[in-house]
Amino acid sequence: MNAQNTEKKPVIKRETKNRIRVDFDRTPLKDRLKARFLNFYFLSRIVIWIFRLVLMVGISYIVLYPFLTKIAGSVMAPEDFVDVTVRLIPKHFTLDIYRAIASELGYWAAFRNTFLLSLISAVIQTMICALIGYGFAKFKFKGRNIIFLLVILTMIIPHQTMQLSMFMEFRYFDILGLVRLFKGGGIEIFGHNIKNIGSVSEIVDETTGEVIREAKAGWFAGFFEKLNILKFKQPDGTKGDTLRLFKYYIERRGQMVEKYRYSFEFTQNGVNLTNTYIPMVLLSLGGLGFKNGLYIFLFRQFFRGIPDELEESAYIDGSGTFRTFVQIILPLSIPMLITVFLFSFCWQWTDEFYTNLFFPSDTVNMLVKLVGKIPNSLKTDYAGQELYYSAIRNTCGLMIIFPLVIIYAFLQRFLVQGIEQSGLAN
Amino acid sequence: MTNEMQKSEPMASETNKRRKNASLDRRKARAGWLFILPFVIGFVIIYLPMVVESIRFSFSDIQMGSGTFTTTFVGFQNYNKALFEDPSFAQVLVKGLQRLAFDIPAIIIFSLFMAIMLNQKMVGRGVFRAIFFIPVILSTGIMESISAMDILGEYMESSEGIDTGSGTNAATQLVSSMDLQRLFSNMKVGTEIVEYVTTAINNIYDIVNRSGVQMLIFLSGLQSISPAIYESCKIDGATAWETFWKITFPMITPMILVNAVYTVIDSFTSESNSVMSYISGVYSTADGSEISAAMSWIYFMIVIAIVAVVAAVVSAFVFYQRKSE
Repeated sequence: MNAQNTEKKPVIKRETKNRIRVDFDRTPLKDRLKARFLNFYFLSRIVIWIFRLVLMVGISYIVLYPFLTKIAGSVMAPEDFVDVTVRLIPKHFTLDIYRAIASELGYWAAFRNTFLLSLISAVIQTMICALIGYGFAKFKFKGRNIIFLLVILTMIIPHQTMQLSMFMEFRYFDILGLVRLFKGGGIEIFGHNIKNIGSVSEIVDETTGEVIREAKAGWFAGFFEKLNILKFKQPDGTKGDTLRLFKYYIERRGQMVEKYRYSFEFTQNGVNLTNTYIPMVLLSLGGLGFKNGLYIFLFRQFFRGIPDELEESAYIDGSGTFRTFVQIILPLSIPMLITVFLFSFCWQWTDEFYTNLFFPSDTVNMLVKLVGKIPNSLKTDYAGQELYYSAIRNTCGLMIIFPLVIIYAFLQRFLVQGIEQSGLAN
Repeated sequence: MTNEMQKSEPMASETNKRRKNASLDRRKARAGWLFILPFVIGFVIIYLPMVVESIRFSFSDIQMGSGTFTTTFVGFQNYNKALFEDPSFAQVLVKGLQRLAFDIPAIIIFSLFMAIMLNQKMVGRGVFRAIFFIPVILSTGIMESISAMDILGEYMESSEGIDTGSGTNAATQLVSSMDLQRLFSNMKVGTEIVEYVTTAINNIYDIVNRSGVQMLIFLSGLQSISPAIYESCKIDGATAWETFWKITFPMITPMILVNAVYTVIDSFTSESNSVMSYISGVYSTADGSEISAAMSWIYFMIVIAIVAVVAAVVSAFVFYQRKSE
């Protein structure tokens, strides 16, 4: 076609000051369309396009279908499960299952606990893994490769291997024997007006050893209890590890001054940290939490893609390494930070292993622990029972992931963006 | 600082520079250690004791008392029990390994394929990407175990039959795979490949679910290939097929290595893994905790051996692009 055009010179039809109308001797429309649409190239592109679209839609269907059946099952009434004609479209639409789970299984309390746990660990993990990943990516030092191998190792060792020892570690928590050191010793925290911070567990007169005041949950202790940071009572009601307030006197300028001090009192060899968030926080602080090896790896890849010149110019301007990291590197890596945050938040949210391990008692309800429980008002013993219970379980799952769907909807564009920016440089 | 250097005599500045460089290197090394310090501390204080404990537990008998526990060393008894006395552990282990030998290539091929698809310009790419990464975020942990128990979903999939549903579903699956087998046998390819493909198709949901992170990693790899290379290829008249094998594939091999290792690790340690769930089951039985520790150490040894083999094999084929430095 090109050749044709060059052969036949365009004829100038009309010429004004700033417009020229040129008349090409064009091939007829039919021929042009034929040339355009009936060649092999175009057809193969169409075929590929259709094939790709079908494939994409098909796989999207595979991904979404389980959610669809779960949603369908969740709005069905018990009758629908014995009805042969009902498959995906419910006949008796009802939200009973949702209502029962929300009101009877303590959904909202579990939601709050899970939210706090996920948020705390996700924030810490993102920050810590970014630090560690940056250290691996941008600094050369002896032993770097060995330590990175250790990171990979923490990924490879199945966490079930550590199940028992991890539980023991945090059930009888005693880092480097520090706890035993404090035991009976006590630390003075706030000086003498400590009475007012609310009762801890009890106030004990040190000299006589008698209990002055039995504990009421003051706001201070209540705060910790609510956030599952410290537990002052065992789930079965017996007194567990206590943070005790001791009252004692010292002589100052001839006067006896009343003083209080905190002391840990432990019932076992070490603090019981189960049913608190502390184990997860500690693991996250060490970059040892759920899948943290992967996050460190992702950050390392990402930071490697950032040109060194950026930091060098910052160093020349007199900025320290840490300041460079915070002020120059971190703002650049927001998509990656969000990606890792999204991963760690969502994976922690749905994680069973750590949640069941660190929260063995029922006093602290977690979302994942709701699964498998049947609300009393929904208990039945008729033919469709198994299917119905399965639907309840699925609904539970849906309610668990519902917040994640919202978060994902907002953050998903960063997911690809963050990953895309991380270079390959291996 | 630079002014001073310029003013000083050349010799002095040379040594000065070297000393500065050395100290800069040392400072940077120190900074590097500072950055990875959280991990080092965490590893030494928390992780290492747990590993050691876990190994110790696997060699001992644990008596749980009220408030405390005692351990007595029993040698290889737990390992013996796990391997030879436990009726199904060895079986589960072998089956699990077979399953993984099948799954891992399938996941890698599928995720590479999907990543290439998602990397092309097309209508609704953003939507498809968002959908494909849903399983990464949502179908983990608890959702995995819910799906494993989901008889309702199976029931809804099955087209006939009412009872519990599981039987009918297996039947429909069998029928569809038979059809596929007939299709492939007409095409005269080896039976092994036929079986592989049909099983892969039957497990497609599983594979799609587990290849999210791999897809992301491949995508990042694909994105980092310079468009200039593709352009010059196109100018030289290479077809898409040639471009893939000559450009994309070699450039993506480092990612294949990463993904192979990641897939091995991920599928070995995931909750849905049959061996893992068996070990967890043993853990929760009475007196099972030591045996489960022993089992998981046996398992770990196998995993690390496989990771090493996979890494060695794949890295033999990895092509590294030289950086122009």
